[in-house]
Amino acid sequence: MSLTRFLPVPSDRMGILWSLLAIDGCVVLEYGPAGTTHFSVGLFGELGVDRQNRLFTTHMREDDVVMGDVSRLEKAIVEIDRNLSPKAIFVVASSVAAVIGADIRGVCSYMQERVSARLIAFEQGGFRGDYAVGLMEAYKLLAEQLPADDPAPQPDTVNLIGFSMGSYRALSDRWELEDLLRRAFGLRVGACLCGETGMEEIERMGGAALNLVLREEGLPAARMLRARFGTPMVTGAPYGYAGTLEWLQKIADALGREIDPVLRAEIAERLSDASQYRMSLMMLRKDRPAVTVVGEYRAVLGAGGFFESLGLPVENRISLHSLRAVPDPDPSVRVCASEKERLDLLRGLHRQLILADDPSLSVCPADNVTLRFAMPVTRGAQVARHLPLMGLRGADYIAESVEEYLQMLR
Amino acid sequence: MIDGHEILSQLGKLRDVTGSKDIRPLSWALFPGTHCPLMGAAMAVRGIRDAVLLVVGTDECAYYTKHMTIHSDDFGGLHGRCVSAVLDTRDVTFGCKAKLDAAVEELVAEYRPEAVFIVTTCVVEVIGDDVDAFAEGYTARYGLPFLAVHTEHFKCENHLPGLERTITACFGLMEAGPRGGTVNLLGQRMGDFSATELYRVLTGAGVKVGMQLPCGCTVADIRGAAAARANIVVNPIALPLAEKMKERFGTPYVLFDKYTSPVRIRKAYAELFAALGLPLPEELDALYREAAEAAEAAKPALQGVRYIYGNTPFDCLEFNQFMVSLGMVPQLIQTVSVEPERDRAYLADILAGSDPYVTKTANIAPLQPVYDILRPDLYLGHEFAARLRKKGIAMVRSDRASSMLGFEVTVFITEELARAAAEARDYRKEVQV
Repeated sequence: MSLTRFLPVPSDRMGILWSLLAIDGCVVLEYGPAGTTHFSVGLFGELGVDRQNRLFTTHMREDDVVMGDVSRLEKAIVEIDRNLSPKAIFVVASSVAAVIGADIRGVCSYMQERVSARLIAFEQGGFRGDYAVGLMEAYKLLAEQLPADDPAPQPDTVNLIGFSMGSYRALSDRWELEDLLRRAFGLRVGACLCGETGMEEIERMGGAALNLVLREEGLPAARMLRARFGTPMVTGAPYGYAGTLEWLQKIADALGREIDPVLRAEIAERLSDASQYRMSLMMLRKDRPAVTVVGEYRAVLGAGGFFESLGLPVENRISLHSLRAVPDPDPSVRVCASEKERLDLLRGLHRQLILADDPSLSVCPADNVTLRFAMPVTRGAQVARHLPLMGLRGADYIAESVEEYLQMLR
Repeated sequence: MIDGHEILSQLGKLRDVTGSKDIRPLSWALFPGTHCPLMGAAMAVRGIRDAVLLVVGTDECAYYTKHMTIHSDDFGGLHGRCVSAVLDTRDVTFGCKAKLDAAVEELVAEYRPEAVFIVTTCVVEVIGDDVDAFAEGYTARYGLPFLAVHTEHFKCENHLPGLERTITACFGLMEAGPRGGTVNLLGQRMGDFSATELYRVLTGAGVKVGMQLPCGCTVADIRGAAAARANIVVNPIALPLAEKMKERFGTPYVLFDKYTSPVRIRKAYAELFAALGLPLPEELDALYREAAEAAEAAKPALQGVRYIYGNTPFDCLEFNQFMVSLGMVPQLIQTVSVEPERDRAYLADILAGSDPYVTKTANIAPLQPVYDILRPDLYLGHEFAARLRKKGIAMVRSDRASSMLGFEVTVFITEELARAAAEARDYRKEVQV
């Protein structure tokens, strides 16, 4: 099973790049052939990542590859530091640089004294795993390198760790999370690793009251911050009505605060409304309902839990990325050995509710009810920033597909 | 802030260039950088309707290439004929043959292609796998042509070698046969040849157009291409293939580039019809006059108009020579290649009244402060129009010329230059306000 028909799972390097590009005040410098950078611009634009004065390439010529000449990289570092004065320059190896063993870290080390910007090397060249591994490495290195010592306490601020611009509806989810945190506790979001955040927020992140770890790949970074600053952490993401309440309760417990009663009542009402689905399911005479969820591990678990809370059995939970960066993964979530295995499985599903990415949905038979739930998006584009998958609005959105599914079932 | 004076101080002038190696980049940190030859190869295979593109490389190379093709009807979209064999650490360490063998087996079974272009990427070339030998083996095993195309970007400047190598690889498909009456079109990268003036003129003269590579053909068309009476090369990327066909099959060729100068276009038509052994169609006189008049008409509006040349569908120096002939003043030319001996005819005219800076292409970030110093009226190429407008610069949009060949090019581009020059005057007023 070696042929990739659609889009391969993005590499660790790609995950690192879209994470770093989401940090305002920094520059990403790729050490490698320019074509990769140019090619990537379209994808990053689709993800909503700003590239203007944030992404550069050195290009690389045969001499650089054969002789290991890094002078091109040295000059580019000096030039960016002088011209743009970023707080940090992330020097990211290309696959070619990684294969020839270019010592990016060494270059950053000796060049550090010549520039004002903080130089941080990412030597993963796309060969250390998929993007989930890259996200973990990015969160870890940022948490290790950038937060300032002795930060001012920020009792009403929480950090988001494990955010990814490569996730479907990422910016909508962020908007929903901010709204929930504000309404529930009057909290604001400080640093966000990594999405629409700034160097200042990351430098101050050690003073936050809590780190919210939205996906497992953020755990090593959160543990580092806990060890260094004593910041407690809450793991998980709010999917579904019950899941949202549970998530908020964990935050309440960690901070010793109460959930705002108005919001609590709103969630209770939604939970009450949702209980009717069990009744509808019991009245089915012919069909046996089943759900398949394909997407990112944490989202698959979250949405799967939501469906089960509604009385809908989840037949398949499939993660689109490897679980190498997930400690003790839930055994109900599987990773298909190949694209073909996943596509063959999906081709065989009938009269199910299927949540998945566009390529996966493209092979599902027409007698299913489907909902786009993961990247990549190949039909249309993400535009809205108010259509989350997380939180109450996310649950409302998914519930609309449940309604459609119930209408189809007999 | 980027210091524009410093950037310019490090650039060479066109007069001083002794070869392409003298062309310096605007900066060491580039954005967005040039396209890579992998993209060029994909552009070429796009037009060969029953061939499959098999990318061999990293997840990233495979991802971006597929991503580019998803919205292409020519490629067949998501389920289309761009697939990949993605390499992991094991493949890089031990070689990619095992992975490629398995991928090819699946590909042949599922896609039933007429030909497969195995396109290598940088990493495959660094590890040194002999993909040419693999391709020969697959050809023998499956009884259909597998063509290896090498697209390492660290050995070339941009995507054009990818196009060139892909269409040159098609030579391996061609079979000798009796000479027919058609002409082949070689090297049209984009656009529809049947929409061009050249096509209308040829068909009006009773000439049948045969294979159109790479803008629209089948593998069978390529197999039979050697039967053509002549090859029309509309871009230098097709010259290596044309040379090979001339040597092996005796097929003559005529270079009919996307020229802008009406005199040069008239000469190309004359050479083409001479090669075909046909009289020059009478309509060409009228078309020539129309183009020459369009150029004359644009001159008053273009006198002294200063410009920065980025990229266009035209030959860089030929077009610059033409613009200079209209009274325009080049301030900075972005190109990857200037060879004084080869380009002597163009350079003499350009340098007669100006001596522009010259730099490499596809690096628009450091251009921003340069605009403030050079204060051009026009920018030719892809930039952010709104950003240019704030600096009083109008953008010349020439992409429409991708579907043009012949005197229509002159008419179109002179009108576009005049339009943009008028727009620049309005923008200057906005900036002053």
